[in-house]
Amino acid sequence: AGGKMAAVKGLETCLRVAGAAAARPERFLSVQDGLSSDFRALTKTLYDLNKALGSNIVRGGPLKELVIENFDEEQIWQQLELQNNEVLDFFKKSIARDAKDEGLCLLSDQEENDSDAETSSDQEFEDNIMDAETEQKNTKDKTKAKEKQSKLKESIMQKCSDEDSDLDFDIEALEKSIVDDKFFKLAEMEAFLEHAEKENREEEDDINYFEDIISDDEEEESEGATVKVRISDMNEMMVENMRSKEASKKVTFSLPDDSETEDITDTQLEKGSDPSEIKSSFEKRQEKMSKKIKSLEDELLKEKPWQLKGEVTGQKRPENSLLEETVLFDHAVRMAPVITEETTFQLEDIIKQRILDEAWDDVVPKEKPKEDAFEYKKRITLDAEKSKLSLAEIYEQEYMKLHQQKTEEEENPEHKEIQEMMDSLFQKLDALCNFHFIPKPPVPEVKIVSNLPAVSMEEVAPVAVSDAALLAPEEIKEKNKAGDVKTDAEKTPTDKKRERRKKKLRKRMKLREKEKRQKLLEKMKPEQGTKLNKKAAAAALKRLTKEGKVSLLKDEGKDKVLKSSQAFFSQLQDQVKMQIKDASKLKKKQKKQTATSVHKLKL
Amino acid sequence: METEAAGDGGGFTGVVSKRSRRKRRAAAGTAMDTAEPRPSKRPAFPPVAAEALGVGKGEIRKVPVPANRYTPLKENWMKIYTPIVEHLQLQIRFNLKTRNVEIKTCQETKDLSALTKAADFVKAFILGFQVEDALALIRLDDLFLESFEVTDVKPLKGDHLSRAIGRIAGKGGKTKFTIENVTRTRIVLADAKIHILGSFQNIKMARTAICNLILGSPPSKVYGNIRAVASRAAERF
Repeated sequence: AGGKMAAVKGLETCLRVAGAAAARPERFLSVQDGLSSDFRALTKTLYDLNKALGSNIVRGGPLKELVIENFDEEQIWQQLELQNNEVLDFFKKSIARDAKDEGLCLLSDQEENDSDAETSSDQEFEDNIMDAETEQKNTKDKTKAKEKQSKLKESIMQKCSDEDSDLDFDIEALEKSIVDDKFFKLAEMEAFLEHAEKENREEEDDINYFEDIISDDEEEESEGATVKVRISDMNEMMVENMRSKEASKKVTFSLPDDSETEDITDTQLEKGSDPSEIKSSFEKRQEKMSKKIKSLEDELLKEKPWQLKGEVTGQKRPENSLLEETVLFDHAVRMAPVITEETTFQLEDIIKQRILDEAWDDVVPKEKPKEDAFEYKKRITLDAEKSKLSLAEIYEQEYMKLHQQKTEEEENPEHKEIQEMMDSLFQKLDALCNFHFIPKPPVPEVKIVSNLPAVSMEEVAPVAVSDAALLAPEEIKEKNKAGDVKTDAEKTPTDKKRERRKKKLRKRMKLREKEKRQKLLEKMKPEQGTKLNKKAAAAALKRLTKEGKVSLLKDEGKDKVLKSSQAFFSQLQDQVKMQIKDASKLKKKQKKQTATSVHKLKL
Repeated sequence: METEAAGDGGGFTGVVSKRSRRKRRAAAGTAMDTAEPRPSKRPAFPPVAAEALGVGKGEIRKVPVPANRYTPLKENWMKIYTPIVEHLQLQIRFNLKTRNVEIKTCQETKDLSALTKAADFVKAFILGFQVEDALALIRLDDLFLESFEVTDVKPLKGDHLSRAIGRIAGKGGKTKFTIENVTRTRIVLADAKIHILGSFQNIKMARTAICNLILGSPPSKVYGNIRAVASRAAERF
């Protein structure tokens, strides 16, 4: 009795907790730690209760009590599973047995269900089905479960019986097929399908033209429809579920199959579209295509996403939406190479190889070859006379020259070698003999070019040719490094200053040279040196002025005459002219006077 | 390089020279040839016999002689005749009726190109070249003959034409000789026709020079140009 009391109490607490939790389902939107611990405790009490009560008919799992301390959900679940598997097997067997039992009457306890509104019974129906689909919790006693199972069956049958009593579903319902699963009974499905077909047929036949179309009726009808919809939805879900499970077990069906099944249910749901005749595959395809087309058209008519809208500013698209987009754009400049370890290794390899090969890339200074005009003219001689040799002989000579050169080169190296060896030997001997070390004699770098006939040394150009025509301008005068030659008008002030500086420098150098030479001369030959000396010149000048042979004009700066020789001589000339004029005038005057006396004397 | 015997000088491995290896391979190759036909890249034909080409039958080349060259031909006949008959082993005659120099092959002719060479030689002489110069055609393979007219370069008439010809020739022929000497060619200036004999590059040089003269450059300028070109050509070789 005590145990039973405890059991009853435990059950009451369980009910209470569960009811409280169910009362406010919105709490389950977030994690509820307190509730979860409550539920765990609940589970434990129920399990222990079940085990404590014991049963003669089914043994259950090996665990005597449920351990929940420091266990997570998986572990608790596995413990429950152990118990449930055992129990489930037993239940299955018992149900099968009971189903086969013809003595059982299935039509009892229907008034209760009838009285309820269809919707509520649907709810129950759904709940039952949900329960059946999920693992049975050990919270339900086996008897209760059994009851529920039978109720399930009954409710299904009830549905079918309410709407259509023609079907002999007893047999059908109790038939078992290979396809049958936990969730699916083939007989059920067939029954449902037949029923649905009948319904459609009935609808066609029973169009009541005289029926008043009132809103209430419509509501009712819609309700009924929704009910039907919901049931069929449920079935559909179940079917789909089963189908998906089947698909996962077997090879996946190709798409048309699924859509076909969907079509069947869809078309049977829709009232307006085609009647109950089974469609051909072509029609089905056509419908599918038209649906696709319609969906595509709708898409096109809808507003485009921001990606397809052309120029989109930041305000027109969602925040940070560009980050999710992969944007393509052209790079005008080649990207800089990424420097990785491999690239450095490659570079180092190249450098090492170059060092080994001694392939340095030093800059070689370019030298401009300077050719004398003379050399240039010597290269080709212009003979203006008919050649003495015939063409054949000319070519013959060329050929011989070519071949002779080769033999020359072969002989010379031997001579050279001998010469070199002798040189080194004598040098060493000299070094040994003499006490003073004589450095190596410089090797003459002058190379004597092959001998030309003496005639070619002279000018051989034709008579009428001038140098200007023969030589290029560069050969006549070296080009200025700067480039053009500038006239005085073109020169910039810097140019002028530069030139002035250069001129002064040149003059300075010349003066210094002169003085140096003078000094040297004085030292070496005193008499000659003093001749050109400045001091000597000044002394001579003084002497001459003293003697009176030379008069020294004082340069005050006012007299223009002394500034330039031109001025001086022009003045001199003028003076002399004046003198001559005066003299001539005088003469004329004298002549005139004598003329009058003669006239006077005339008698 | 001589082959060193293997095991020479105690421990040294003998190195076989490449020449001997090649000889050995060649010997082996010939041995192989006799054994089986070698899969060669090119088909190997034996040189064609002279008879097969119909040389022995007697091909004839005819070179017409204009009236103005009749006398020079008569004067230089022996000089023309000798090299053709003795060196080239051909038969030559002058057909008085048709005024053609006819050259024919015979049994003794060994070289197939001899006939062409002889014909060219006679033609060159007929154009106006000296016999010694034309002889170079026989001795050297790569000499050619180029002819063109003054009016090809620039359409000149009357006095201008005469002046152009005079420019080409120069006083006493010295311009022409200068060009000949520098470019190592021979030029024949026959009124309005110009013939050049020489190797390909030289003909090009001479032709350029003559064309410049026709177009009106002064001779001194032309000298400068051919000198530059000739020196560059000479430097290359």
